[in-house]
Amino acid sequence: MEQKTLLEQKIKDLRGRASDAIKNSASNLKELDEVRVKFLGKKGELTGLLRGMSQLSAEERPQIGKIVNEARVEIEQLLAEKNSELKTAELQAKLASEKIDVTLPGRRVHEGHLHPLTLTLNRVKEIFVSMGYTVEEGPEVETDYYNFEALNLPKDHPARDMQDSFYITEEILLRTQTSPVQARTMERYKDNAPIRMIAPGRVYRRDDYDASHSPMFTQVEGLVIDKGISFADLKGTLEDFSKKIFGEKTKIRLRPSFFPFTEPSAEVDVSCVMCHGEGCKVCQGTGWLEILGAGMVHPDVLKMSGYDPSKVSGFAFGMGIERIAMLSYGLDDMRLLYDNDVRFLKQF
Amino acid sequence: MQVSTKWLKDYIDIDLTVEELAEKFTLAGIPVENVIKAGEGLEKVITGRIEELKAHPDSDHLLVCQMNIGEENLLQIVTGAPNVKEGQIVPVALVGANLPCGKKISKGKMRGVASNGMLCSADELKIESDASGIYILPEDTPIGIPAAEVLGLDDDILEFELTANRGDCFSVIGLVRELAVLTKKSAHYPEIMIDEDDEQYAEDLVTIGIDAPDLCSRFSARVLTEVKLAPSPDWIVKRLEGAGMRAINNVVDATNFVMLEMGQPLHAYDFDEVQGHELTARRAVEHEPLHTLDDTNRLAKGGELVIADAEKAAGLAGIMGGFETEITEKTKTVILEAASFNSASIRRTSRAVGLHSEASGRFERGTNEKGTIAALDRVAQLLQGMGACKVCKGVVDVYPDPKPEVKIKFTTAQINQRLGTKFSDAQIIDVLESLGFKIENIGKVEELTDEVVDKFAAATKNIGKAAREIKKSDVEDFVKNIGATFGGLFGKKDAPREKVQDKAKESVEDFVKNLGSTVGNAVKNVDIKLSSTYEATVPEWRNDVTLPEDLSEEVARIFGFDKIPSTLPKGNQQGHQSSAQNFIDKIKEILSGLGMCEELSFAFTSDAMFDKMQIPADSELRRAVPIMNPLTDEAPLLRTTLLASIFENAARNYSRKNEDVRLFDIAPVFFPKDLPVTVQPIEKQKLAGLLMGRREPKGWSQNSAQIDFYDAKGIVEELLAGLAITNYFVEAGEHYALHPGKTAVFKKGRDILATVGEVHPAVAEALGIKKKIYVFEADVETLQKFAAKKFSFESLPKYPSISRDLAILVNPDVAAGDIEKVIAKSGGAFFKGVTLFDVYTGERISADKKSLAFALEFRSNERTLKDEEADEAFKNILSAVEKEFGAELR
Repeated sequence: MEQKTLLEQKIKDLRGRASDAIKNSASNLKELDEVRVKFLGKKGELTGLLRGMSQLSAEERPQIGKIVNEARVEIEQLLAEKNSELKTAELQAKLASEKIDVTLPGRRVHEGHLHPLTLTLNRVKEIFVSMGYTVEEGPEVETDYYNFEALNLPKDHPARDMQDSFYITEEILLRTQTSPVQARTMERYKDNAPIRMIAPGRVYRRDDYDASHSPMFTQVEGLVIDKGISFADLKGTLEDFSKKIFGEKTKIRLRPSFFPFTEPSAEVDVSCVMCHGEGCKVCQGTGWLEILGAGMVHPDVLKMSGYDPSKVSGFAFGMGIERIAMLSYGLDDMRLLYDNDVRFLKQF
Repeated sequence: MQVSTKWLKDYIDIDLTVEELAEKFTLAGIPVENVIKAGEGLEKVITGRIEELKAHPDSDHLLVCQMNIGEENLLQIVTGAPNVKEGQIVPVALVGANLPCGKKISKGKMRGVASNGMLCSADELKIESDASGIYILPEDTPIGIPAAEVLGLDDDILEFELTANRGDCFSVIGLVRELAVLTKKSAHYPEIMIDEDDEQYAEDLVTIGIDAPDLCSRFSARVLTEVKLAPSPDWIVKRLEGAGMRAINNVVDATNFVMLEMGQPLHAYDFDEVQGHELTARRAVEHEPLHTLDDTNRLAKGGELVIADAEKAAGLAGIMGGFETEITEKTKTVILEAASFNSASIRRTSRAVGLHSEASGRFERGTNEKGTIAALDRVAQLLQGMGACKVCKGVVDVYPDPKPEVKIKFTTAQINQRLGTKFSDAQIIDVLESLGFKIENIGKVEELTDEVVDKFAAATKNIGKAAREIKKSDVEDFVKNIGATFGGLFGKKDAPREKVQDKAKESVEDFVKNLGSTVGNAVKNVDIKLSSTYEATVPEWRNDVTLPEDLSEEVARIFGFDKIPSTLPKGNQQGHQSSAQNFIDKIKEILSGLGMCEELSFAFTSDAMFDKMQIPADSELRRAVPIMNPLTDEAPLLRTTLLASIFENAARNYSRKNEDVRLFDIAPVFFPKDLPVTVQPIEKQKLAGLLMGRREPKGWSQNSAQIDFYDAKGIVEELLAGLAITNYFVEAGEHYALHPGKTAVFKKGRDILATVGEVHPAVAEALGIKKKIYVFEADVETLQKFAAKKFSFESLPKYPSISRDLAILVNPDVAAGDIEKVIAKSGGAFFKGVTLFDVYTGERISADKKSLAFALEFRSNERTLKDEEADEAFKNILSAVEKEFGAELR
């Protein structure tokens, strides 16, 4: 009987000490584990107490066994609680110690860029391809015939003054416009076959190199030939294009002009992309920007390339991609486009 | 061409502002380039007299003027002009003036002496381009009044930028004619009346001839006697100044005035200086001397049109008169010339001699051949009005082949169809008549439009079909039978038979005859409106209108382009790019994705650049196409390699301290088929790329290593992978501009896909770049030839693969690429790939060896591979490399 009471007393004492050790003396997981070994380990105190049970009677054993078990459960629970508490604290300490300066710049890679003229030309091409145009090409070194004569510009025509050319020979030159592609395309299609094409490409004029001129620049020429094509069709097409490239609110204005290869001919203005027609520095207060030349294909031009002007008619237009790029990106000096400074190229 | 609004208003009553006028003209196809408002910038410029002139105490070229500007106190102004004298009256810009030349006048000191304004030159006032000295005003000019008044600048000026086709608008009357149509007001032109001297006939005094009728279609002349040379009246001087011309004397001024007014250039000769009193338009002979008005002795090339007297050429026709026959103080009798010259010939000569005058500009665009006599009469009238001459009776007029009237047949449907409009006949005719066209209705349509033909075909289709189905035998049977029927009817077998047959035949013929009108009625019933055909007679002053299409432009521009509707072409077509264009887009996309920036460069280059690039003298790249008239001597050739351009751009970037450069360029290069060039050269699309600088962008935690050969090579490999070009091989190669030990060539069979390498240090030095540069180049067409046409993908492996690492020691000169080839060959059926993952030379191995480590991958597509199978393959590979390269397993 005494033995039993003594054991009960010892268990109670152990519970008290274990609880105290867990709560107060274990400050990290390692110490906590030492506490666990001390009380619950194979050679721990609780196991030691159980050894004393052999002196107990058969009725007393289960009673004490139950108390020992309760003590084990309680201590294990305390251990678990403390364990999780310590783990949380340790994780937090670890996270705190891992703090970095997030304002330091990230690691970058070299980024590649397409040239702003390519980007602009791609947009122009996309718009016309979506409107059913094919994209045609021709040589950059042209014959006088295709560059001028097939466009109704015979030698000594005063309009040749508008385009000072780089000559290779008297009869061969760097094309001054992409219009020769029109004649070449008509010759290829033949038989009054309908044509809807644009011809983008580099062209060359003997201009001084300054903020608004360049000896080489990029032009897109357009040509539509079919039965019953009218000046109204030209106007509608250019209106559509201008809205797509400069925005829905863009208006266009056609002014009568003269090109030997079209009749009637027009210079085409769009409402200023900067001030929307109010008048600003870019449009020199007029509210309009000239971006295109256009007109109904001259019957002689059709005839020269084997088309019959009594059966079909057509319109043609030409625009400078540099001008459109400069307006789109707000550039004020054309030379930036051919300077190829990587600090410039990387902005697009 | 510039003209004052006052002059326009002499002939038409309009109350439009100069801006409104400019807009009206511009939107009708007569572009106004600039508007100069009356006295703009001259608000604070007045007349003043130089009362006192002293040298500046501290300068040997400045003068201190005391100016009387009509106020109590004199105004002190310092000037540097060399031509001022005491007593002169000059334009004075006061403090606060904002001159047309852009100068702003403020109070200031010039070398310590106060200056309260500025004395102005003609250039500063923008009245003439003379900047040599102060503009000296006449002695009787009032003092202290606005300078604009005395300078005739109290008038608004329109500056036109005429298109090449509208020679008719190169005159005040031409512009008024347009303005009358645009404002629907009537114009009143000067009435020309002269009082001819019955005593003397012009034809008795002068002989006129044309020896070159192809270059001079008409030559008309008048003779003026008892000429008194004097200054022109004020109103003529003002009109001339308003048009930007300076008054000279009454005779010259009158010819200039009429040229501006009517568009017909004229020339006045001193009758007494014209040898033989005869003038002939002829071609100059080679090296013929020409002493022109500007006192310059020229030599004719031969072939230019000159006006010659009995002895020598007396002027370049239409461009500049001769020195000897010029009007001078001594002139008593004048021959007035009004002629019509071939525009192309005038243009050629004017460009060749570098002389562009008001007259040549008009002849180049074409003048009104019919208007020569009216112009002569107008000059005579003006001079007679000044009391400056007598006018001989008659005109000497040589006009061998008068220009016929131009007549154009058109329908309004044609015009509406071209414009996409629905103007009525009356509207169209009204516009054309107001422009001076005579319109005559010449009946119904002659040329059928497609629309009419289509409708006609639909209406007559059935008739035609029925008619075709009637056979000749049917008709004969009908006729025969009808005879028999009639015969039977009368019980007489033969009597009227023939008669009836004849009758029947007649009625069938009638039917056929009437078929035409029946069809005609059918057509009428399908409601085809046949429009009238008109004939327009083109007014004599419009050389540019010859076709119905030209008439459509007249209609459109007068109604206004804003009146034309907006439609889209009917029908659908499929738009697309060519495969070559798509391929170039794809290359650009891949390279920009690999961190490369696209450049765009001029097609020009030079021998100096070829020298820098070390292109050998015998290389075909040296055979570049030369430009006859290059912009500068630094770029006289068309490039044969894009490296020339990309090197130039790299050097420019480097000089601006942009040291991390990755550029690519796709553009054509040019190879002549022959030299000197006689046919178009061959154009080939090429690709070039250049890399230099850091491998990674500069950064606090980024690798600061510089790009090397393998970065550049990697770009090429990625490009080829992106284009799905496979099974190529790489070998060491040679390239004129590259390091001999660091040049690789990508090949497929005999074709070179690309060349990549480090730029030769001597080339880099020549470019001024103190850095290693790597470049690659390729031919776009060759790349496209080997690029996969269709995308295909490889399915993911179903079974795991087994890896084995192979580390070997070989002699340093063994190429890794060669080892890889042997590995691939000896790897067996399960070999899937090899990756070189380590290259080592150094202390841990013997000095005459290098260590290479390859990761080998083996896999079966049918089952999971066994280790032993991989070991077996590995063994085979090892023994192959041991055998081929003397490799030792490490």
